Amino acid sequence: MELIIGGAYQGKIQYAKEKYNLTEADIHICDSVEIDFSKKCVADLEKFTFSCVQNNIDAVEFFKHNRHLWSDKIVICCDIFCGVVPMGAENRKWRQETGRLCQYLSKEAETVTRIFCGLEQKLK
Amino acid sequence: MIVFICGGSKSGKSSLAQNISKALSKDNPLYYVATMIPSDAEDKEKIRLHIEDRADMGFDTVECGTDIVTVLNTTDKNGTFMLDSVTALLTNEMYGDFGNIGVDIKAEERCIKDIRQLAETVNNIVIVSDYIFSDAEIYDESTELFRKSLADIGNNIAIYADIVIEMNFGNATVHKGKDIYETIL
Repeated sequence: MELIIGGAYQGKIQYAKEKYNLTEADIHICDSVEIDFSKKCVADLEKFTFSCVQNNIDAVEFFKHNRHLWSDKIVICCDIFCGVVPMGAENRKWRQETGRLCQYLSKEAETVTRIFCGLEQKLK
Repeated sequence: MIVFICGGSKSGKSSLAQNISKALSKDNPLYYVATMIPSDAEDKEKIRLHIEDRADMGFDTVECGTDIVTVLNTTDKNGTFMLDSVTALLTNEMYGDFGNIGVDIKAEERCIKDIRQLAETVNNIVIVSDYIFSDAEIYDESTELFRKSLADIGNNIAIYADIVIEMNFGNATVHKGKDIYETIL
């Protein structure tokens, strides 16, 4: 699994498309607790974790128990970790859960790349 | 030479930009392009601190809050320009007169075009911008448009810039043009 992280609008999906030769059809854009793992790339993982928080699903446990689904994927998640502590309890939990998942995936990933202004920074 | 510096608030962006600008300018004119239009005492104080910080460095301050290419009307293009900051420029271009709650959706496109034109006309430019893209806040539509526009402008500058630097607590991470950077400072 290749993990790509970076701030909002930094060009993470664009980078993945160029690097791995992907088209729109290869990318699943998360917007609920359902992820289509038939795609090569799973993007906006933070939206999956947001839905998990709303539906009381443990995102880390889900990933741990379904390794076979994502072990050969490109996973993209937004870095939402550098601001002040969010005011709302739900947003705090969202940040927490997304962070836990990113730490787990980062450990499991073959490569971890951070995107800054469209430029790659190899973290692992 | 085109240098782009992006970082969080108080990360040392302006100080580094001043040093790079000074180093690049040699004997040519050195301009500080101030984009912030002060709206209250807090802004004025911030500006005063920046002016104090660059005193004796030889900068001529040129104030230009919108239509950034117009700085060329009163400056020598062979000079070195420090544009501080894209954030304030976009704010002025997007929100227009203070008190106007509407947003100009063409602001991003205009900033991208104008900054590029200025950057490719002058001898040297050091462009400063803010990094506001890694928090877990969910913003209203207008603020989100501002974040996206600022990111798009920065990503565009990073394509043609010779050097791209991220600042964190006074430390520089050079994402592009490391070899050139090391010859300057």
